[in-house]
Amino acid sequence: MSLAIPNGLDNTVEQPGERAPLVLGDTTYHDITEAVCQVAERKPSTSWVIGFLISFALLQWLGICILYLIYTGVGVWGNRSPVFWGWPIVNFVFWVGIGHAGTLISAILFLFRQEWRTSINRAAEAMTIFAVVCAGTFPGIHVGRAWLAFWLAPYPSLNLWMWPQFRSPLLWDVFAVSTYGTVSLLFWYMGMVPDLATFRDRSTNKWRRMAYGVLSLGWSGSSRHWMRYEKAYALLAAFAAPLVLSVHTIVSFDFAVSQVPGWHTTIFPPYFVAGAIFSGFAMVLTLMIPARKMLGLENLITIRHLDNMCKIILATGSIVGLAYGTEFFIAWYGQVQEEKFAFTNRAFGPYWWAYWTMVTCNVVSPQLFWFKKLRTTPWMIVLVCIFVNIGMWFERFVIVVTSLSRDYLPSAWAYFSPTWVDWSMLIGSFGLFFTLFLLFCRLMPVINMAETKATLAKQYHVSNHGDH
Amino acid sequence: MLRVRQEQETTDGSQAFYNCELMSENNEKKVHGIVAEYTSVDTLLAACRRVRDAGYEKTDAFTPFPVHGIDKALGIKPTVLPWIVLGAGLTGTATALVMQIWMNAIDYQYIISGKPFLSLPAFMPVAFELTVLFASFGAFFGMWALNGLPRFSNPVFTDPRFDRVTDDRFFLYIDSKDGQFDRGGVEKLLGDTETDYVQTVVDDDSSDKVPKPFFVIWGLVASLSVVPLLIVLKMRVSHSSQPRFHVFYDMDFSPAKDAQQYSTLFRDGRAMRPDVPGTVARGEMQADLDFMTGIDMNALSVIDRPRADRLVRSFNPLYQTEAQSAQESKPDDATQAEKPNVGGDPVGGDPAGDKSGTEADKSDSDQPGAEPTAKPSVMDTTPWLRVNPLVLDEKVLANGRKNFGIYCSVCHGMNGSGNGLVNVRAQKILAAEWIPPSSLHQDTLYADKYPDGKLFSTISNGIRKMPGYSGQIKTRDRWEIVAYVRALQLSQNASIDQISESQRESILKEQAEAQKALKEKADAEAKAAQDKAAKAAKDPA
Repeated sequence: MSLAIPNGLDNTVEQPGERAPLVLGDTTYHDITEAVCQVAERKPSTSWVIGFLISFALLQWLGICILYLIYTGVGVWGNRSPVFWGWPIVNFVFWVGIGHAGTLISAILFLFRQEWRTSINRAAEAMTIFAVVCAGTFPGIHVGRAWLAFWLAPYPSLNLWMWPQFRSPLLWDVFAVSTYGTVSLLFWYMGMVPDLATFRDRSTNKWRRMAYGVLSLGWSGSSRHWMRYEKAYALLAAFAAPLVLSVHTIVSFDFAVSQVPGWHTTIFPPYFVAGAIFSGFAMVLTLMIPARKMLGLENLITIRHLDNMCKIILATGSIVGLAYGTEFFIAWYGQVQEEKFAFTNRAFGPYWWAYWTMVTCNVVSPQLFWFKKLRTTPWMIVLVCIFVNIGMWFERFVIVVTSLSRDYLPSAWAYFSPTWVDWSMLIGSFGLFFTLFLLFCRLMPVINMAETKATLAKQYHVSNHGDH
Repeated sequence: MLRVRQEQETTDGSQAFYNCELMSENNEKKVHGIVAEYTSVDTLLAACRRVRDAGYEKTDAFTPFPVHGIDKALGIKPTVLPWIVLGAGLTGTATALVMQIWMNAIDYQYIISGKPFLSLPAFMPVAFELTVLFASFGAFFGMWALNGLPRFSNPVFTDPRFDRVTDDRFFLYIDSKDGQFDRGGVEKLLGDTETDYVQTVVDDDSSDKVPKPFFVIWGLVASLSVVPLLIVLKMRVSHSSQPRFHVFYDMDFSPAKDAQQYSTLFRDGRAMRPDVPGTVARGEMQADLDFMTGIDMNALSVIDRPRADRLVRSFNPLYQTEAQSAQESKPDDATQAEKPNVGGDPVGGDPAGDKSGTEADKSDSDQPGAEPTAKPSVMDTTPWLRVNPLVLDEKVLANGRKNFGIYCSVCHGMNGSGNGLVNVRAQKILAAEWIPPSSLHQDTLYADKYPDGKLFSTISNGIRKMPGYSGQIKTRDRWEIVAYVRALQLSQNASIDQISESQRESILKEQAEAQKALKEKADAEAKAAQDKAAKAAKDPA
């Protein structure tokens, strides 16, 4: 029986009194193991090799740009007075946002017992970690003297004789993003240990067996272990859920706690969180749809999964649209001259093109998901999701650049233009992201086998007991 | 149920799994327990219940995924993990709060954005993050510790068939340490359950030697990883006569110069540069000298040509006059000519005028009893502009009022009576030596005796203890203040004839009402005082 061919059952339709199956085909436990392990065990496909070579080349280019930046100084960027944040911070917020869907899918959907998360959560968590790696790179090099970035940490120093400033949102951000990265890594790794044990037990090569043996920590599948493991997993999920919300809230504090017109608003935390979930889900879909095709996982990542995620994109996209409208309303209702100017300038000032790109991509394009036909046609989903990703990058660009380039000091107003280094680093960060993701696809279990089997066990249970 | 079992068995058959012969007859080796294999959750659970009911306690099940209900079927007690996590989380909160309070409120205090040193709301985000971080560490490491992992050698792994425990097989295990363990009995009990495979778990007889390359690599990495640490340690305890090594010298020591610093770039050695000759900085266009000085320059050049020349030169150092070229031989005038226009003080280049001005004013207003000097003061002979060169309108007065409020009112008071906040405070703390600021409502300061140009010059250059404001207030704004001072003076001393006839009546009426109100108030107060006095006189009696 091949897993690559779905059996034609439409699991996007809800039948009253019956749960739609989340695993399709006449699948057994062993089939799941086979389907997931073959991804890592067979020879890499040509498309994987080509994709990896391109990503790896871009990663090298990013490395060269970072060396050039450190050697020359931050003047190689387009950051000039008054736009000192520029693209590095735009990229940082963009990647941190992308990194939100992973833990959200894992933690919040786990807490809500949404079982459809099981076949997508692993890849989404991996994506989170790689996105946080990309995000962390940018503030690290944006500090100017990257070799002193460790000054951000509160360590007793005999040279500095001082402590960091805990009343600043920028330091909260350091703690939030590093905690998020660490907890996501623990969550991801812990979820992977039983599956790494499967890899260990299937490996025929001595060294491979040793490597996976070390990574899986001697996991034996003992029920006593499983019980503690599940408890620990639920606890981690319970911590990770508020953590997801806190991280982008704190990122938004970087802006909202300042006085710059267009930044100093209380709507930022919920608006940023919704935007982050929005962009994160879009990125998950952009990655998963080609991956499920290439890796032959259509029976595990079913149309129903895609359909559900599209609904979340539609919901969060509408929240983001509402937030854009609310910002304008408050700017008018608040009657503060600078705020009114900031928002008029966003939509009709020199950056109007960025603003309207953002609105088209973020507000208009997800509305297409009202149509079921679009939610269930993979290539259309990918298209809309790419638009959403572009739109969310522009959202951060609009927030950072339009506000800074037109703040309280009109004599300092200037138009921001990126340099080739800005462009290279944005593209290079995608190289870093895809290199890590493609390596993950080859070396690690891309789908949570243990949980998917548990879902399957429940399906058996229901169908067996439904007989009498 | 049946369907599942059949499927799994066909999978088995097609794969021709493991050769179990190796595992037979291991009697000499230590027996750890007995394991039985199942193909489905339901058969496993049924077997678990039977084993539990038979009274075995040291049992375990091995499954590819968490099986629900197995804790009851096996009699597994709940874990203490949540308590560990709670402890870890609280430790995180406490660590964060203590760290932030110590670092920002005690050990290294400094004021930032008006927040208190101990600002709990600002400490919350980090406290939350560290709570989550520590609790997550507690959950992660606590779980592995309670599970006794990592443990790379486990007797159950010796059976190759056990590899399928992470794939699709379920195993039930009874440990030999159990009180009622008896090999035959256990084998029979397990054999009675729905299983095709019961096996004794014995010691692992594979080599326990770690491959040599492992040690070599480990040793190499370990010894290399200490090197940076040792270097840092050596640097910390040793002294060096060499200066520190700077990777990016110009980032540690900025080549940009500060004010008043020496520079080798220019012949004069100064880092601060004067204006380029022949250029005027934005907003410093000084074309109309009458407007700049408050003096009718044409008239002055007739009366006192050298002074007029000096004034012109003080605004424009490149200005050459006949008189100056003639005087160039004199050393002090030569230095005078080279001196740039420092601080934009227009009469600063005219020390004589300044000095005599001060003297003149002393006799002028504050010390009316002082003896008049023999020679008339420069201040008196200067042909001041009599009329404000600005076209007066409401906007000019409003601006004048604003700037008067900012710069003048602190000493002279909002109404110009000389009782500003500085004066009020100074009267309290330095009453003895304090010279109060002048009231602007004196005859000597009215336009007939103190022309607008002179008032302008006083604002620009100062008088007695009052400093000059030419550096702080723009020329036009100073003229606007002059206009406003005139309006202030008028407000206190205008006669009714100066008001247009249409308004006179209402003003007189208002005045009468105000006087009446004042009188009533005074009467009431007097009466209250009387009553009080009467009462006070009455009370002791």
